[in-house]
Amino acid sequence: MSDIISSELQESASQHAYFMKKALMMGEKALETGETPVGCILVYDNKIVGSGMNDTNKSMNGTRHAEFIAIEEMLQTYPRSALRSTDLYVTVEPCVMCASALRQYRIRKVYFGCGNERFGGTGSILSLHSDLSLDPPYPVHGGLFHKEAIMLLRRFYIQENEKAPKPRPKKHRELKTDFDREAPLTSPAP
Amino acid sequence: MDAEEILRGIKPLVGQVTAIRTVQETRPREDYADAYVTEVNVKCASKVIKVLDSSFPRDSSQSLSHLRRFAKHNQVPEHLRPILLREGSSPAQTIFVLISPPLPDIESLQNVLSPFAPPDIPTGTKLTFHTVRIPLQPPLTTAQADAWSNTMWPVVFNPSAPRAMIAPPPQILSRARDSIQPKAGRYLALAQRVAKEAEQSGLGRRVGAVVVDPDLEHQLENEEIDIHWSDAVVAVAGDGRYSRTAVSEPGPNPASQTYNPDHEGGPELHALMRVVELIASKRREDRPGSSSTGRPCLNHLETYFLSQSDVTRPDDDSKDPSPVPEKYQKTETSFHAIHKHPEPTENDTPTTARIRPRSQGGYLCTDLDVYLTHEPCICCCMGLLLSRFRAVIYPRSARMVSGGLASEPVLKPVPVDEDTSAPETQDPTPDDTQPKREYYGLHWRKELNWRALGFEFVEDTVTETDKEPEGITKAVEFHA
Repeated sequence: MSDIISSELQESASQHAYFMKKALMMGEKALETGETPVGCILVYDNKIVGSGMNDTNKSMNGTRHAEFIAIEEMLQTYPRSALRSTDLYVTVEPCVMCASALRQYRIRKVYFGCGNERFGGTGSILSLHSDLSLDPPYPVHGGLFHKEAIMLLRRFYIQENEKAPKPRPKKHRELKTDFDREAPLTSPAP
Repeated sequence: MDAEEILRGIKPLVGQVTAIRTVQETRPREDYADAYVTEVNVKCASKVIKVLDSSFPRDSSQSLSHLRRFAKHNQVPEHLRPILLREGSSPAQTIFVLISPPLPDIESLQNVLSPFAPPDIPTGTKLTFHTVRIPLQPPLTTAQADAWSNTMWPVVFNPSAPRAMIAPPPQILSRARDSIQPKAGRYLALAQRVAKEAEQSGLGRRVGAVVVDPDLEHQLENEEIDIHWSDAVVAVAGDGRYSRTAVSEPGPNPASQTYNPDHEGGPELHALMRVVELIASKRREDRPGSSSTGRPCLNHLETYFLSQSDVTRPDDDSKDPSPVPEKYQKTETSFHAIHKHPEPTENDTPTTARIRPRSQGGYLCTDLDVYLTHEPCICCCMGLLLSRFRAVIYPRSARMVSGGLASEPVLKPVPVDEDTSAPETQDPTPDDTQPKREYYGLHWRKELNWRALGFEFVEDTVTETDKEPEGITKAVEFHA
């Protein structure tokens, strides 16, 4: 009996790992193309039905975050109602904008890598997944491949921004690889 | 009706533009905590600081730089004098040091600080640590700083740094308000007209957005003539939440009479998000309104204004169209830069399209103002911050339960003056007819990296029948 449970747990753990790695791959792709390295995938019925990476630079639209791109891809094939049975795996905690959008879309559950202390909308700055709203709350689980997600961001921010009007020289910066703080993990919806 | 015809028929709303207070103002945090005070040898003051800082790490998320680390004898607040000032201690010999949270245990403090005990105290005597109450937040005004210094512990008032996190600097806010006031009623009336188009098409709810470039507005000529008042409008968009599914017949979409999430289309089809994407398509120099993201123009007002951005006026060749570089900077590091208007010079006729493409330095929605028929949903509020709008304006009568900008219930009576520094003497009564909602005040929150100026338009007279002829939108709660 307990063997069955633990093997089920293992199976689901390896599934989460699989999907999160796919999201990280999207983040890598964003990094290669000069976008803020955030990647995500949508999983419906155990299948990846949408994937996205940040696209704000190329599109000149500051709202083109990975989550919106992935949802748009999914909606080309599936009805909106399918999102109610869909989980999101995203490398960084959804920002305030995306956290609200996911609520409006009634996402089933959100898994993320690292927290977002600047814009996070599912626990870091606001808790839009659980606040009072027209739409029901959704559960959030953070900390999946947290180090990998942070390293992606660090590799991005160490680069000089040539597009900035006054690029800041970052020659002497070193890529940090230490993790002195543990990431917050789960913040379930009430 | 063609777009110019519609523009000629626009009747401005009449009312006042009022700044939305920030949540830092409406919910001022007055957090207090305990700290220790002890008397030390004044000659060792710098060593005391050094040893405290190296032995007990501070909480970097909690800046306590407003608290004086030492109080001289004459700076000790009245109520602490009987406790702290002992007989025989002299201002020439001792000073009082503050040990602020996170508080170490007394024993470690004894060990670290005993070498710096007052010189008149026999060696080996233990230091006495007195508990005092301190304010954790920096003071917002000199009056508050004085009050705290007298009743708690000496604090320093820094007029610049903390204030910008709390609220927009008053002179920037009032300058923007003054420039927005004269034409806001007209832009909002246009937004309502755009909203009507959206509703009539069956493609969206009755919600509209109008984006204005304040720099263009400064350069307007002949604005009293015909429809030249609209020359600073760079784009308009109506709601398009039903546009993904085929619409069989024109007229208001039946889905708009209820809130069914499966029919709502999603926030990227809200008016704000659509207008942002229309502007982005111009920046990218896509074919007008036919972006690759599948969000085309949905009505002829949208098409009209986008095509206006193709118009070029006589070029005097002397003007470098490159943007002011400071405009890209973050609110944090240079919050005033984003509100700076280049001084119009005599030869400063616009030589480029209303929406500058990327190749000419156009960037997101930097420095633009957006006029909305409704208080935008939380998603759109953050979308407008990420797009770097300068300001957002909507009618107070169109607040939404699901909105993200208001920071408090509507107060009665409506405050008319903007003297926010005046102490709040009486508790204003919230309008209890309003449904229960959250108040996020997202336009200016200290935690977020980007901020915009937020305004409500308070109409002089609002009659429900004027506002919603169809009488449906108001009754249904949805995300605008």
